[in-house]
Amino acid sequence: MRRGTGFRGRAFNWARVPLVVGGLGAFLGLGPAAAADGPVPISVLVPITGFLALEGTAQRNGAVMALDEPPAGVTVTYDVADTATSPEVAVTALRRALDRQSPIAVAAPIFGTQMLAMAPIADRADVPLITVSGTAKLTELGHDIVFRFFPTDAVVKVAQARYAVEDLGMTRPAILYQTTAYGQSGHGELVRVLGDLGVAPVLEEAIDPSIKDFVPALERATAAGADGLLLQLHSGPTALAVRQAHEHGFGKPIVAGSALHQPTTAALVEPAALAGVCAESAASPISDPRPGVRAFAEAYRERFDSEPDAFALAQYDGMTMVLAAVADGARSPQAVKRWLGDNRHEGLAMTYRSDGKGNMAHDAVIVCYSGQDRVPEIVRRYDNVDGVR
Amino acid sequence: MIETALIETAAQLVVTALALGSTYALVALGFVLIINAVGAVNFAHGDLVMAAGFVTVALVTLLPAETALPGLVLLPGVMAVMALVALVLAALAYLPLRKGPPTSVFISTIAVGLILQHGIQLTAGPQPRVGPPLVGGGWVEGGGLLVSHQQIATVAVAALLVAAVHGLLHRTRFGRRLRAAAQDPELARALGINLAVTIAATFAIAGALAGGAGLLLSHQYFVTPTDGAGLMLKAYIATVIGGWGRVWGAALAALAIALFEVLVAAAVSYLVAEALLYIGVLAVLMARPRGLFGEAEGRRA
Repeated sequence: MRRGTGFRGRAFNWARVPLVVGGLGAFLGLGPAAAADGPVPISVLVPITGFLALEGTAQRNGAVMALDEPPAGVTVTYDVADTATSPEVAVTALRRALDRQSPIAVAAPIFGTQMLAMAPIADRADVPLITVSGTAKLTELGHDIVFRFFPTDAVVKVAQARYAVEDLGMTRPAILYQTTAYGQSGHGELVRVLGDLGVAPVLEEAIDPSIKDFVPALERATAAGADGLLLQLHSGPTALAVRQAHEHGFGKPIVAGSALHQPTTAALVEPAALAGVCAESAASPISDPRPGVRAFAEAYRERFDSEPDAFALAQYDGMTMVLAAVADGARSPQAVKRWLGDNRHEGLAMTYRSDGKGNMAHDAVIVCYSGQDRVPEIVRRYDNVDGVR
Repeated sequence: MIETALIETAAQLVVTALALGSTYALVALGFVLIINAVGAVNFAHGDLVMAAGFVTVALVTLLPAETALPGLVLLPGVMAVMALVALVLAALAYLPLRKGPPTSVFISTIAVGLILQHGIQLTAGPQPRVGPPLVGGGWVEGGGLLVSHQQIATVAVAALLVAAVHGLLHRTRFGRRLRAAAQDPELARALGINLAVTIAATFAIAGALAGGAGLLLSHQYFVTPTDGAGLMLKAYIATVIGGWGRVWGAALAALAIALFEVLVAAAVSYLVAEALLYIGVLAVLMARPRGLFGEAEGRRA
């Protein structure tokens, strides 16, 4: 008599039962689930080296601050890996995390190019990616696993353009933007919103991130009769443009992109050069007077010996929403994904809610510098810009 | 009236381009000295310049805040530190491999550059930093031009350093030995010149020049750990245009590149300036493969 057999007549191996059940569950879309009271695995995959290391480090800091203080009843295990600057490294890091850690969610890179490569893999594994990447296309490809906790350009560029036109009275702005995906995405949205406001830019100049001298662009803006400057540049170039505009007596208002709100960017420029300069952002942790944000900023300074920016706060809010899902009983990647898609979350920076595509953030602020110091003041809030909430 | 305004604008642009170009010239000069001495490309040179910027920032933070020394005072110290760093680079990435194929040196210098980049990023952080001004603030105004003390000092310091290197190479016995070893290593060895010493000295001089360039750039244009590759590209193009191994050719080409980029960007756009620059490089390579000033005698890597 043969004992229970299977697998081409070999003796049945009872030790394989959990594997088979797990595999069947995964096939049926149930996915790996953390034990109801066991630690929840989460991966943090962000660019800690390379040209986006500043933003990636802020992401990591915000993520680990949230993960180190989970809500009562939730324990977390997490690994941090560097995705550097190439899609290949990011994809490898994601595959390794999926194989070794089976995370219920992944804090994913701000770098849109990496996210575009990672999203199909995360989609197949059905694991949610929690990111602050601004690349608009990310949430337009039909993946239901991308959750973006930083407002897209469709939100923040509305704030930048409206403030420039409605508050500063610009009618002939010049736009300087980076040749990167970040710069082009913001430039496209700026032109669209300015068009809606009945304003046409007099100069639209694409600038490579390696360019050090902005005087030619400033001269061309002046020659074109620009009455203000809209910037969509990375951190260093933003500081260079602002400083050189001051040194060469450009003398017209400047509304920069979110790079300027980063304390490390403002630190490059003397306060006098910042006088009257404004910037859009999702938030400004160092100048937000609300108690929750102030407590976050103080804890961040104490732990990392640096000033927090909006990316750190957004990633913190994103991970706290994941932990809220876990605390509410979501113990598998699929359950977390459903919870993020269906629920509203009161974060520190704003209230988050998915628009059905994974865009969770819908508010923006404008900050301006007085010229006395490098701490900006929030001068205007633009809430629920896209009407989702 | 309009013509006067145009001339003033052009003159203003030339002033800013000269300040940028003079620092590029220092970068190119250090780069081409190594090519001359060892016949191989030091791909870590851009990262040496970047490292010099961070050494400058580190020196400022190490000193008491109330001292606030200008960059001019720190310059000799930064150049000395970078000369030592370049000697270490030579010991690690060139001397053990100099008898191997040139590709070994390419790879080893690329590796050292990446180590410098990531090491600095780990220790200093990824954010851009700003170095001290060479001299105090202030402007000189005249003839419709506005020139900062910083710009004047940058051009002056760069010119002095280039002249000093020229003097060392052409007016000293030591310089003649360096040039002899670069032009014909075997003959130089037969004449009793210690090649290891001349190679080490050249690396040290190139490192010191990188130190000067890094300090000048760190205030005017900031410094980030990823700056090396962009600087390296500028130096490489200057060397190709100026003539492979031509010291003065590379320095002049670096100045010309900055002037060309700034003036074309002001007249048309940055993208057109960049495209035309690379078209120009291709044209030079096709019409004068040895560069505008010809190729220096010696080995081509």
